[in-house]
Amino acid sequence: MEIDRADGRNPNQLRPLSCSRGVLNRAHGSASWAQGSTQVLAAVYGPKAGTKKNENPEKASVEVIWKPKTGQIGKQEKEYEMVLKRTLQSICILTIHPNTTTSVIVQVVHDDGALLPCAINASCAALVDAGIPLKHLAVAICCCLADSGLVMLDPTKLEEEKMKAFVYLVLPNSILSVLPEESSSVKGEQMEQGLITSVTHGVMSVDDYLHCLERGRAATSKMSDFLRRNLQPQLSSDSSKAG
Amino acid sequence: MEQRLANTWRMTVNEKKFIESALVSGLRVDGRNVYDYRKLSINFGKEDGSAEVHLGQTRVMGIVTSQLVQPYRDRPNEGTLSIFTEFSPMADPSFEPGRPGEFAVELGRVIDRGLRESRAVDTESLCVLAGKLVWAIRIDLHILDNGGNLVDAANVAALAALSTFRRPECSLGGENGQEVIVHPPEAREPLPLIIHHLPIAVTFAFFSDESTLVVDPTHQEEAVMAGRMTATLNTNGDICAIQKAGGEGVPQSVIMHCLRIAATKAADVTVKIRDTVEAYNTERALRKIKRHSAPVALDVSGTLPNLRKNQVKSEDQREVSGSVGTQVEKLKLMNERKNSDQSNDIEGKVVTKSLEQGGTNSKDGNPRSFIGGPSSWNPYSRGVDSDFLKLSLASRDTSKFSKKQKGSQSEKSTQQASPKGSAEDMKAISPATESAKIASQTHGEKTLKDAVKPKHKRKKKAPSAVDGS
Repeated sequence: MEIDRADGRNPNQLRPLSCSRGVLNRAHGSASWAQGSTQVLAAVYGPKAGTKKNENPEKASVEVIWKPKTGQIGKQEKEYEMVLKRTLQSICILTIHPNTTTSVIVQVVHDDGALLPCAINASCAALVDAGIPLKHLAVAICCCLADSGLVMLDPTKLEEEKMKAFVYLVLPNSILSVLPEESSSVKGEQMEQGLITSVTHGVMSVDDYLHCLERGRAATSKMSDFLRRNLQPQLSSDSSKAG
Repeated sequence: MEQRLANTWRMTVNEKKFIESALVSGLRVDGRNVYDYRKLSINFGKEDGSAEVHLGQTRVMGIVTSQLVQPYRDRPNEGTLSIFTEFSPMADPSFEPGRPGEFAVELGRVIDRGLRESRAVDTESLCVLAGKLVWAIRIDLHILDNGGNLVDAANVAALAALSTFRRPECSLGGENGQEVIVHPPEAREPLPLIIHHLPIAVTFAFFSDESTLVVDPTHQEEAVMAGRMTATLNTNGDICAIQKAGGEGVPQSVIMHCLRIAATKAADVTVKIRDTVEAYNTERALRKIKRHSAPVALDVSGTLPNLRKNQVKSEDQREVSGSVGTQVEKLKLMNERKNSDQSNDIEGKVVTKSLEQGGTNSKDGNPRSFIGGPSSWNPYSRGVDSDFLKLSLASRDTSKFSKKQKGSQSEKSTQQASPKGSAEDMKAISPATESAKIASQTHGEKTLKDAVKPKHKRKKKAPSAVDGS
């Protein structure tokens, strides 16, 4: 059953993406990521000396501060901070700078659906801009499930509110290997098949969830192409801003 | 403790000496003159009431929201204005999350005094029900990048956001007029705030050498300076606030000199703010008209417009675009049939010309090219299908009131009518609504032809009301 989306996209179409890096002057790394009307600004400072009391000093730690557009920080913001922190910790190489803290500050500029994936993408781009060593990049996407069972990608705020359930998925970047025969595998499975983070809202059946996962995976290849193209040209001319 | 010391940015002695000695000779590190402001640019966000200001490297975002609350006991007829400043840790490595530091509090207070206590925003117009419900305006200022002189940038951000903010219209209803109905923006156009004047803050930095002072210090100059003063003035010559909290002592003559400089700077900044707000308002008004005419642009140009405008229903677009090619032919045929009236000939030529022009897809171009059309379109001169006429007048009628709900309803009704009728009818109806909507566009532009139209409308109101509903 075809559902007409308000802005005329088909269910598998993402909103136009735009990413600009190096937007702030004081921060070591910064990026602004926009998906349609949703826009998020992320800044990275680090690595800074010392870790918090409850963090492991033998590894680097990541600290996330989420700033909503208006109002006070509540539980929703704390949850986003936690998800973002765990996601970024899994992509940073934590053994390189032990006993340091990298701060990631996320500012919501406009929220029109798929806010957390937008923030994750922005933070990833900001980390690259700051030159923090990463294992691989992460691309985040939101899939929502309509009552009819149709899976739609990248909903707007109105669509998110109407849907039965939606899930935020963070997947590793698709691999561009110099050696085409070898591909990194983790425990026999392809790395590209992995899933870093998944946050669901609402009730969905297991089949629907796996369906969303497939769709999300297909879309992330497009997003990781965009990310790669966006990040590549400036890498050579970047100078370190830390210190 | 040691970690915090290790992480703070401290200026080296060499840098300090360099900045100070350059200032003695009247040179600033970034090449500006002593009394020059950095480049100020104001950008607006997608929502009303959100502005981002760039003052050189300093970046501040201001967001205004409103809420209905109970008023204060001692002021039952006035709304409230509150300012929240967020020193985001992204702006400066020394800003820490959590409780605002003393500088953040000071900044909030300076802006608050300038805006609220000088009565720049009219709070009495924010009263809905005296003693019971008033509008509380909340301004959130997010400091995104600290390049120095946060007070001035934050002040401009607050003013820009307030100037473009629109609050929902509300009316009193219910049995004894005690119920407040808040109208959503789709139903009734939201209202702007009444701002009497724009208080502009100008910051001066004093250095240990008595005669040196600079306007709009960068963060490096701020690290070197010995004292600062912020003067908030408006273009009427009123001083709204002066803040000089400690620091180096400064002679009176210097203070008077600063105030005079501040007056000229305030005038410049006010002009800048007014111009950008004007530009934003005209763009916003254009956007509203575009929402009506988006299907029109589609017919004429045959290319899909920017699909991010949620108001245009996707069904309309698909149906209309499907018949573009046939419509062009149909219109040409129609125009040939109208050869009796000379004015109609002109109209025909204008219509086909604009259809050919359609490739450029200039939404501004369309109303200009169609101005000739509606004035010469005399609905009584030819044997026109009455249904065609009613529908066109109905959609013209409803869009005249610029109620988007009704407009979209009439679009729906015309589109629903078309699949019901025969294929021919559909093609006849859609160009009619197209030309009718073009007529409504010219309404927005208020030409002399408007004076002629009301006569026809009043006569046709009865049948169109039946159709339009």
